[in-house]
Amino acid sequence: MLHAAVVRSPHAHARVRALDLSRAREAPGVRAVLAPGDCDALDETAEFEGRAVVAVAAETFGQARAAAELVEVEWEELEPLLDPEEAVRRGSLVGEPRRYERGGYERGLAEADAVVEAEYRTQTLNHNPLETHQCVCEWRGDGLDVYISTQYIWGVRDDVAAAFGLPPDKVRVICEYMGGGFGAKNGAGGYVTLAAELARRSGRPVRLALTRREENVGGGNRNATIQRVTAAAKADGTLTALGGEFICSLGWGGWLASTAGPMQLLHACENVRTVEYGAKLNLPAMAAFRAPGFVEGTWALECLLDKLAAELGLDPLELRRRNYANVDTMDGRPYSAKELLECYRRAEPHWERRHEVRARSDATWKRGVGLASQIWYGGGGPPSYAWVRVGSDGRANVVTAMQDIGTGTRTAMAQIAAEELGIRLERVQVQVGDSSRGPFASISGGSSTLPSMGPAVRAAAADAARQILEIAEQRFEREDGTLSLRGGEIVSPDGTTWPLEEITGLLEDGQILGKGARGPNPAGMRVLTFGVQVAEVAVDVETGEVVVERIYAVHDVGRVINPLGARSQIEGGIIQAMGHTFSEARLDDPHRGTVLTKTLDAYKLPTIADVPEIVCELIDKPDAQLTNLGSKGLGEPPIIPTAAAIANAIRDATGADVTSLPITREEILAALREARERERVGAPSA
Amino acid sequence: MGALGNGTRGLAGGTDLVPLLRDGLVAADRLVDLRRVIPSGIDGTAIGAGTTLAELEADPQIPDALREACRLAASPQLRNMGTIGGNLLQATRCWYWRLNYPCRLHGGDVCHAREGQHREHAIFANDYCASAHPSDVAAALLALDATVETTRAAGPLAGLYRLPDDHDRNLVDLGADELITRIHYERPEQSVYLKAMDRKRWAFALVGVAAARYDDGVRLGLAGVAPIPWRLASLDDLEQATPLPGTAYKLELARALGRRAIAAVGG
Repeated sequence: MLHAAVVRSPHAHARVRALDLSRAREAPGVRAVLAPGDCDALDETAEFEGRAVVAVAAETFGQARAAAELVEVEWEELEPLLDPEEAVRRGSLVGEPRRYERGGYERGLAEADAVVEAEYRTQTLNHNPLETHQCVCEWRGDGLDVYISTQYIWGVRDDVAAAFGLPPDKVRVICEYMGGGFGAKNGAGGYVTLAAELARRSGRPVRLALTRREENVGGGNRNATIQRVTAAAKADGTLTALGGEFICSLGWGGWLASTAGPMQLLHACENVRTVEYGAKLNLPAMAAFRAPGFVEGTWALECLLDKLAAELGLDPLELRRRNYANVDTMDGRPYSAKELLECYRRAEPHWERRHEVRARSDATWKRGVGLASQIWYGGGGPPSYAWVRVGSDGRANVVTAMQDIGTGTRTAMAQIAAEELGIRLERVQVQVGDSSRGPFASISGGSSTLPSMGPAVRAAAADAARQILEIAEQRFEREDGTLSLRGGEIVSPDGTTWPLEEITGLLEDGQILGKGARGPNPAGMRVLTFGVQVAEVAVDVETGEVVVERIYAVHDVGRVINPLGARSQIEGGIIQAMGHTFSEARLDDPHRGTVLTKTLDAYKLPTIADVPEIVCELIDKPDAQLTNLGSKGLGEPPIIPTAAAIANAIRDATGADVTSLPITREEILAALREARERERVGAPSA
Repeated sequence: MGALGNGTRGLAGGTDLVPLLRDGLVAADRLVDLRRVIPSGIDGTAIGAGTTLAELEADPQIPDALREACRLAASPQLRNMGTIGGNLLQATRCWYWRLNYPCRLHGGDVCHAREGQHREHAIFANDYCASAHPSDVAAALLALDATVETTRAAGPLAGLYRLPDDHDRNLVDLGADELITRIHYERPEQSVYLKAMDRKRWAFALVGVAAARYDDGVRLGLAGVAPIPWRLASLDDLEQATPLPGTAYKLELARALGRRAIAAVGG
């Protein structure tokens, strides 16, 4: 196997004036070199730092890197566009501005007894999965095998097939296990094209793995935002208008995630106006990142709601209840299921703790409690397919070409098949991760793996069970549809039971093959996930240190398949949110547009010492309208409300309005100073 | 010692040197393992330069300021490897320097941080180079009135460091073939180290303040506020700070931590 290294632009905006590959080509161990013109993934113009210019494959990674350093590039530096507001003014946008309006926004403002406005900002965040983007490409005849860390093996198959003009089934994509994606690995990406082309030219398998530094520049990011938002309400708290302008710093590409989504969907409000801009800048392009748009938008909206509650003198939880949406806020469709009121009810005792928490404040450490609500998609959808094979030993094998991205999907699928077949979990095996060894399966993005794949697996297991029972009914001369599978046995209503193997044993080398497909989502209904988080914080008002002492999370995602796995998703989401709230930020040089935080000492992920006590609860009520499973996804919901709940707790504790993420020492010290100033001049706290 | 210099570097814990070598910031043809050469261990108020931070952190006879500075530094893995001598000599965390921008410390004629991203940078002596010294241990040892013994000489810890200028861009006054062998500190009545970080653990100090009380008063040492470990005669000296727009908050932090540290040692 050969190893690849990539020469990338060190500049945010530049053109190659001259390129000399002669020394690199002659370097020890080099087997292939690609330059612009050899491959679409290489370019002589760099519109962002990290743009690939030359790729080298050599016998070892060290040789590849040494050869890459011998590539001589003469750059002509160009002026980079880095300011998102300037980009909007100049019309440098990715896509068109997205405008949304319902009702009469101006009328809503006019009817209001209170109007609050604020500007909130969020930072650029890197996914930094433990495993960087990487693949091994190997040509076998006219077909290509791609071993890759991905959230969507079928997407990679199609991307790579298109790049090389191959019939899709000539590309085989394998991802058995992977070390985290968080949305950054939804497709193939240029690095796979480079590896495949280097493999084609060298006739050898080629591994291309991004270094941590490359990952921190070009691995995708959650784009920064500037959100100017307004909320208006009657004295009783009824929202009369919500509005916002959302400027999203997308970089040189990507897409405009719905930062206005929470404002449009979360609370009942007749009059809503939003406009979203995707600023096109000379910075690396964004990628989906765990609830893209909604994490950023919920931060602003739910902080604004608390500001409004303070202005109106209303309890923040009560304000949210008074604006509860009973039907979809955008088009009036009924929800397939919605247990947000139940979430509010269960959050109540945790919210009530605020009196006791506040009372534990002292001269320097001020304590408080805040909450935020959550809305997101997560209903999944078709198509997705699964096969369930039952052998003569009565063991089941689930086969589907999905990927387990570390969320425990294998276990969940085994549980679903085991339940349907009435057999123990350990008698089910699950085979995933190979596009040539199983039917098409969903992307693992948008919290969709479980709600998309689970029903297909259940349908396949039900199909296998039906076939087994048909044989049993003939064999034991029972009426059709009278027998069932339970506890590893075939069960008759009269109490007679037979071991499952008594029927499957008849098969010898034969197999029962059940097939299942994911059906459609319920027509005319809105399928969403809901939740509430309550944060308890202590703030050192002299040093700006914030300790999050406890987070209570309750989420409604329909039926829970694996309670331990679900809790792990909630904890993981909250821990990642701790990083987003306090310590993580990609910092760019403000003049050059180059990334400064390329390593894990500079880009600060949360450590275990940053993790608060996390109390998880799940409503666990199946969505009766949604599929044969009633389950929605939980990958994204838990990361959505955390930052706002924490900021609202900081406000509760200190009166300080933090408006920018991350909440660094400088951010909170400035907010505390402003709060003290407000108090001094006696201005209203909102 | 003659082996050092001329492309040969001494390696102790390697927690800073190895990343620097990997990133091409330090070049070496050969590495000499110093672990059996450098004195190690604690003997009264003398500390062998090869003593790891983990050993110092665990030893109850070490003053609180130094133990706490060790405990709050890096991660357990790094503290198990990193030595006190190496810690005093660690390079700046300035991202421009680490990414090899042609800054003044690299021989260039500009400090990129001053006009760029500098929230983690210096509030004192930051005119020429705004980098901030990362050593918690050095701040504690400044407060503990430490002296440093090398293979050539002995002198106050403060004398180990120098501010860079056009003639000499080094932050440390140590020959290429000179090694720190021992550190001696003065046992205080009481001492403490307080550190503000971006996260609870495993981060360099935004500001670190060490205070140690002696018969003649309280001594203060600061990390993260100047290109070298910074000694303050009193908190009043914070008025002399020259923060950049993005580091004004560090002054507020230094004041708060300084007051607290002095109170903690009964000063």
